[in-house]
Amino acid sequence: MLEVRDLKVSFHTEQGPARAIDGVSFDVAEGEILGVVGESGSGKTVSLLAVMGLITDPNVVIEGSIKYQGRELVGLPAKEMRKLRGREIAMIFQDPMTALTPVYTIGWQIAEQIRAHNSISAKQAEQRAIDLLAEVNIANPHEAIHRYPHQLSGGMRQRAVIAMALSCNPSLLVADEPTTALDVTVQAQILDLVRKLQKNHKSAVVFITHDMGVIAEIADRVMVMYAGRIVERGNKVALFSNPLHPYTKALLDSIPLLEGERPRRLKSIPGSPPALLNRPKGCAFAPRCANRFEACASVPVLPNAGHDAACFKVNP
Amino acid sequence: MLLAITRRLGQMLFVLVGISILVFLIFFATPGADPSARIAGRNASPEILEAVRKSFGFDQPFYMQYLIMMKKIFVTGDLTSFVNRGWKVVPAVFEAIPVTLSLVIGAAVLWVVFGIIIGTVAAATRGSWLDKFLMVLGLVGISMPVYWLGEVMNLVTQSRYHDTWMFSWVPPLGYKNISTDPRGWFLTLIIPWFTLAILYIGLYGRVLRANLIEALQEDYVRTARAKGLSETRILLRHALRTSLTSFVTLFGLDFGALVGGAALLTEVVFDLHGVGMLTYNALLTLDLPVIMATVLYASFFVVLSNALVDVVYIFLDPRVRTA
Amino acid sequence: MTVLYEAKNVSKRFTVGSRFSATGKLTLNAVDNVSLSIKAGETLGLVGESGCGKSTLGRCMTRLYEISHGTLVFDGDDISQKSLRQLRPLRAKLQMVFQDPSASLNPRRRVGDLIGEPLRIHAKMNHREIADRVSELLTLVGLSPDHATRFQHEFSGGQRQRIGIARAIAVNPKLIVLDEPVSALDVSVQAQIVNLLADLQEKLNLTYVFIAHDLSVVRQVSTRIAVMYLGSIVEIGNIEDIFAKPAHPYTQALISAVPEPDIKKAGMRSRIILTGDVPSPVNPPSGCRFHPRCPIAQDRCRMERPVLRVHNSKQQAACHFPL
Repeated sequence: MLEVRDLKVSFHTEQGPARAIDGVSFDVAEGEILGVVGESGSGKTVSLLAVMGLITDPNVVIEGSIKYQGRELVGLPAKEMRKLRGREIAMIFQDPMTALTPVYTIGWQIAEQIRAHNSISAKQAEQRAIDLLAEVNIANPHEAIHRYPHQLSGGMRQRAVIAMALSCNPSLLVADEPTTALDVTVQAQILDLVRKLQKNHKSAVVFITHDMGVIAEIADRVMVMYAGRIVERGNKVALFSNPLHPYTKALLDSIPLLEGERPRRLKSIPGSPPALLNRPKGCAFAPRCANRFEACASVPVLPNAGHDAACFKVNP
Repeated sequence: MLLAITRRLGQMLFVLVGISILVFLIFFATPGADPSARIAGRNASPEILEAVRKSFGFDQPFYMQYLIMMKKIFVTGDLTSFVNRGWKVVPAVFEAIPVTLSLVIGAAVLWVVFGIIIGTVAAATRGSWLDKFLMVLGLVGISMPVYWLGEVMNLVTQSRYHDTWMFSWVPPLGYKNISTDPRGWFLTLIIPWFTLAILYIGLYGRVLRANLIEALQEDYVRTARAKGLSETRILLRHALRTSLTSFVTLFGLDFGALVGGAALLTEVVFDLHGVGMLTYNALLTLDLPVIMATVLYASFFVVLSNALVDVVYIFLDPRVRTA
Repeated sequence: MTVLYEAKNVSKRFTVGSRFSATGKLTLNAVDNVSLSIKAGETLGLVGESGCGKSTLGRCMTRLYEISHGTLVFDGDDISQKSLRQLRPLRAKLQMVFQDPSASLNPRRRVGDLIGEPLRIHAKMNHREIADRVSELLTLVGLSPDHATRFQHEFSGGQRQRIGIARAIAVNPKLIVLDEPVSALDVSVQAQIVNLLADLQEKLNLTYVFIAHDLSVVRQVSTRIAVMYLGSIVEIGNIEDIFAKPAHPYTQALISAVPEPDIKKAGMRSRIILTGDVPSPVNPPSGCRFHPRCPIAQDRCRMERPVLRVHNSKQQAACHFPL
């Protein structure tokens, strides 16, 4: 359904162009949940914002190809893109506190999106907003549509944002760290809700997060990003039970567990993720990698099939 | 709501009383301000001074003098000038109010309308030549002193080009009463309105542009884009709406100050006998009753316009309603 | 092991809103009658969701906040009544590390000065001694001595947290309150800091209060754990006991809500999904504060507030119907 090929996103900076996304290719199939995991600066959010056409900064250059149901999105006129956004492809953002306009009721904001894409009356749009709020388990939806964002708790706001994203029955839903700003008990509710809605609406979901645990719970397929590239991709079970890339392995090892023996020290990755303007020439993970050798001075490629990793140890 | 209004009124009263006491004390603490010496004239004999002091009540304790003055302003309304004997102050202020209000309200309409247009257009086209042009224009407007601009306006419309088709409609300087001559009222005020408004149009346009550009960086604007809304709708319904709060705050302060007499320079240039001019003349002669009356009037409007700002806030921002 | 720190019946109330706001003045019991003791050399994990009061309690313990009620005994000294001047010598022994290192370190000062500042204040060292000690500390936290001349913006988040830790251990403290020290860090860097803290604890004989919302991190670093909900401790005990068999339904739900990256176990764990959000501490529920979200709540829970009692002869839990 979504085909991204060799996507490159570069920012113009005073020190020259900085490539935030460096040749990312991936597919999203209908009805699947693709988990995108990575640390800050790995490019996980930027690549999906590029797909949404939400990078408005004139200093940014987007190259490559993004095909949605066979239609090329890179270079699509703004007006055409706008018709897709919100109707075909919807997005949920990280912080529900700031994602809603503070001066309008949530019912108004949901109806606004519905009426932007469908010619229906205000009354019908309001009814639809009520139905949507009920669907995301907000109590008293008739009353809730008249609430302003600040009158709702974080979890409720995120539910309202999800209801809004689903309002036009999108076939692709991009969720950018939708549970990071929430408490764990509320996170569990929202993950549960996303799973349920995904089944009912049969939308494909791209779920971005830094939390391996969340990915393990929600995704069908996983793609691990590091410094603007995909380092490993595969089916969730395969990837978690047999991680190939040293970064994925190390990342999984560095997370403390809730059960079993506690190690005296955690396994940790030395150093920190490279800054955007300071990325290593070859494999970006090489300087922190315990298995690096001569070949790592050049960029490893990610074979475009099944479970695989961009690593010379795995694919010599 | 009722509680909020009562509280506001209480605050207002408090401010007014405080300001009047302060003005009163400052006046008597000012060296050379002894009103009896001023009234009795130079080289007056001590006997005459004493007589003047008695007849004006300056021999009474300060608090009595203050109370008498307040009574004369608010109850009997027969406070008279210390300088022009017999000139009643309260009616004089009430005569000046419509002049100042006409000037400031008209200018305020202009600067709000043009400020919003300029700020919004500049923010929508940010980075383009139009944006840069509007901002330079705004800066020019801010930098032109109002008395200079007013004189230039007068020069152009009253003498140099008065006889051309462009400005032959401009009536001579002065104020026309709105109820007896509405057409004259309007025509005489057009030039003063623009003169006074230009500074504020530049200022408000620039402030609004900055606020809008800031608002356009907010997460909710990104959400609005993700919803597939048009840029115009995002700008007007989401960004502008949330940016108006600081615009309104600024407006409340400026409007209050101008109505309170800060439009003095414009009044002087265009020979409009408003409150600014009244205050100015009273200050030159240290005429306490007039100063007192105009200061009270000014602070009343400053407090009132701030109270109005609070009410507008409640409409603009639902967060204020529940907080 | 001796008791190093003891908090007895500590409460912290905040007032929100003012007498003049629509809702009036409200009292928020951020910390509500909390008692706990910390033994020398242990790490007490303080967990709970946002608004549970864990950070407020941490700040009360270091007297960054004035407590409203209760006593704090540190190293045999009652510090709850001491004036700030009397506290000064104690501050060296009682340090705090914050979540966001870049916000708690002055950006205009060199790292050497930041770390050296507590030495100058508390240890009264001269320049030479300070420089030597700073190099020693930088090495101790895994940085290089020549980092002393740099500014904090030249460092990554993990390195900045190392600087924050170096500053805290500079004056040989006994107890460090760590407020979410790894939450702002990338996953791959979190483990480094967790290990560093464990190493330092061993080397320097430190006692920690580790405040975090991430239960897996808390389990890794703590010897004991206190679970807070709406300002009160609902369960406290040894880490193994509580993770093996939580007595309070909230603890159980909290542990089960943590997403598990080990997919072999992910299918086997039973999840308890609580309904609703954490209620506002301004208007807490009656009886047991957890009852509206509790899957096993009964009538008694709505009326009567449970107190901490020993269960399984190990941990203490505040629940009428412990698991």
